[in-house]
Amino acid sequence: MGSKALVMTGGVISMTNHIFSFKNSFSRTIIIPKYRRVIRSCSTVSSGSSLPPPDVSRLAETARISLTPNEVIEFTPKIQQVIDWFGQLQDVELQSVEPALRADMEGDSLRADIPKTFENSREAMISAIPSFEEPYIKVPKVLSKE
Amino acid sequence: MLSTIQSPRSLSRFHLPLRPLKALSSPHRSAATTTTASALIDQSAPPVSSPSSSQILSIRRSLLSRELTATQLAESYLSRLRLTEPHLNSFLHVSDSVLREAQEIDDKLSRNEDVGPLSGVLVGVKDNICTADMPSTGGSRILGNYRPPFDATAVKRVKELGGIVVGKTNMDEFGMGSTTEGSAYKVTSNPWDVSRVPGGSSGGSAAAVSARQCAVSLGSDTGGSVRQPASFCGVVGLKPTYGRVSRYGLMAYASSLDVIGCLGSSVADAGILLGAISGHDRLDATSSDRGVPDFATHFTSADTFGGKPLEGLRVGLIRETLDSGVDAGVTSVVHDAASHLEELGCTIKEVSLPSFSLGLPAYYILASSESSSNLSCYDGVRYGSQVAAEELNSLYGDSRASGFGAEVKMRILMGTYALSAGYYDAYYKRAQQVRTVIRKSFKAALDENDILISPAAPSAAYRIGEKKNDPLAMYAGDIMTVNVNLAGLPALVLPCGFVHGGPVGLPVGLQMIGAAFDEEKLLKVGHIFEQTLQGPKFVPPLVAGEVAC
Repeated sequence: MGSKALVMTGGVISMTNHIFSFKNSFSRTIIIPKYRRVIRSCSTVSSGSSLPPPDVSRLAETARISLTPNEVIEFTPKIQQVIDWFGQLQDVELQSVEPALRADMEGDSLRADIPKTFENSREAMISAIPSFEEPYIKVPKVLSKE
Repeated sequence: MLSTIQSPRSLSRFHLPLRPLKALSSPHRSAATTTTASALIDQSAPPVSSPSSSQILSIRRSLLSRELTATQLAESYLSRLRLTEPHLNSFLHVSDSVLREAQEIDDKLSRNEDVGPLSGVLVGVKDNICTADMPSTGGSRILGNYRPPFDATAVKRVKELGGIVVGKTNMDEFGMGSTTEGSAYKVTSNPWDVSRVPGGSSGGSAAAVSARQCAVSLGSDTGGSVRQPASFCGVVGLKPTYGRVSRYGLMAYASSLDVIGCLGSSVADAGILLGAISGHDRLDATSSDRGVPDFATHFTSADTFGGKPLEGLRVGLIRETLDSGVDAGVTSVVHDAASHLEELGCTIKEVSLPSFSLGLPAYYILASSESSSNLSCYDGVRYGSQVAAEELNSLYGDSRASGFGAEVKMRILMGTYALSAGYYDAYYKRAQQVRTVIRKSFKAALDENDILISPAAPSAAYRIGEKKNDPLAMYAGDIMTVNVNLAGLPALVLPCGFVHGGPVGLPVGLQMIGAAFDEEKLLKVGHIFEQTLQGPKFVPPLVAGEVAC
């Protein structure tokens, strides 16, 4: 699926497209500047409990995992319990603290931006594809009827 | 039958790990599945030798002196593996080319060619570390028959130095768990008591080293997954500094925290393995281009130490790690370990890390958030198992539903929640701010101390099934280790004593935390601690009758 767009509606504030692009070995977040103010506004929430509870069916849809109704029933209290526990961080005074994307030891040591040849095992990669018809990876139709 | 095994105190008379086990390697021995644990302890004790405990150095000596061949050495490990594996289930896959690779080393030696420093060393590799010629499932159904087209950089380096990959070790699915019960394939047992968990997620790698099924193993540590199983299984576990070892070919769980780590039955073995896999790799931009010291120079024999070999070393005992919630037995063993360090010349001082308890929720927010993104690559399209569907979104959803286990699904959903628009500041960003606070508090503590010490886990190994259905109880067991990942620091866990439990007692690990890229100090201190520690050796009852080191 590569990068994904998480779209949620409902709850205390109206949600907008908020794209998190996580690629390769470390994460980077892109916040669309237009919505920055809206998103910031919810960090004033002082306790985890005032955020709406997780809608597990909806989260599963977003994460592209087809849950059975039984799984939804089984997971909901467990996920709720953990998210309530996450909520304890709301009470910590962190106003002036810079977030650390990772335990940055050295900074990135990126190579020069010039093309290089890397070993590539095309055959091995293709043989791992569940459904392949030269030269394409075959998938079912992308658009649903509605 | 395990209850008939000797107490650990009596084990110290066995030393040499690498005598070929003639009785065990007989070709007429019937299938390992019919062998009982009692058969394993009926072997005659091998001759006692010096207490030098490095299997890697011992293998090298044996090969270079032509005392033993690589084939003989490999056969002795393989026969032990076949005998113990039915009781342990450490491996998801065992290589069928071990003896052929050993023969190649013997051929080279017979031509008097140079062989690499890991020649003849059997290395277990955690199943989330890619190997081109073996399956690599990450403990997940979704990668059921997956064979990667490449070796992870760490594996490649081990092979280049002559190491023989003996197989792929069991783990919690994608590293998400602390018991190895979360594997989609099998439950691994603790060699000290087969009714207990080996810890996790690198439980297979720790159990395999503990039972001497291989000499050393590679694991991965996102929140303690090398160190906690090392503690539970009575072996040495080394989590390197973030950036010390290339992550290329390690299946990403939480990329800002993941590191490949080393497990061995001695500090020297873990350190030699670290030396082999460390250093910059152009395939991982987060790998550091700092030079790698020769860790092996510190692994000298105990008679070179002198009276107070650690004179002047400042050791900080982290106060928050000895609070309530930690088993009294564990606390007492760690205090004894601190006294031992004091006898070696260290000054021990309690230090406080006030943000310590915040590390756990911050860690789980960051790890589940990053995993929800990283695991989006498992969609059944380019590799892994696919569930046929009429429409693409159903193909994704159904492939992921049938491929992932419950814990992985829940963590992806929690991460999806934490990253949702509107909640990002409340969870993910706050957790990143906590990471900054934790890094600073470690920095301050390590400015005043050379190393910090704590237990490796709040308890010794618990029973299989005990915490399986209570996620928060399982997460709480990671309290000792997650902060170190958040700060990116190196840490060494080594066995330091026993608590009651199981047939002969259960091992407890001491965690030593160092400054970034100062693995050298941890290995030096760890080696001296290990070589001077009195008491029973850390060889589990399952193999105590025929092997020890």
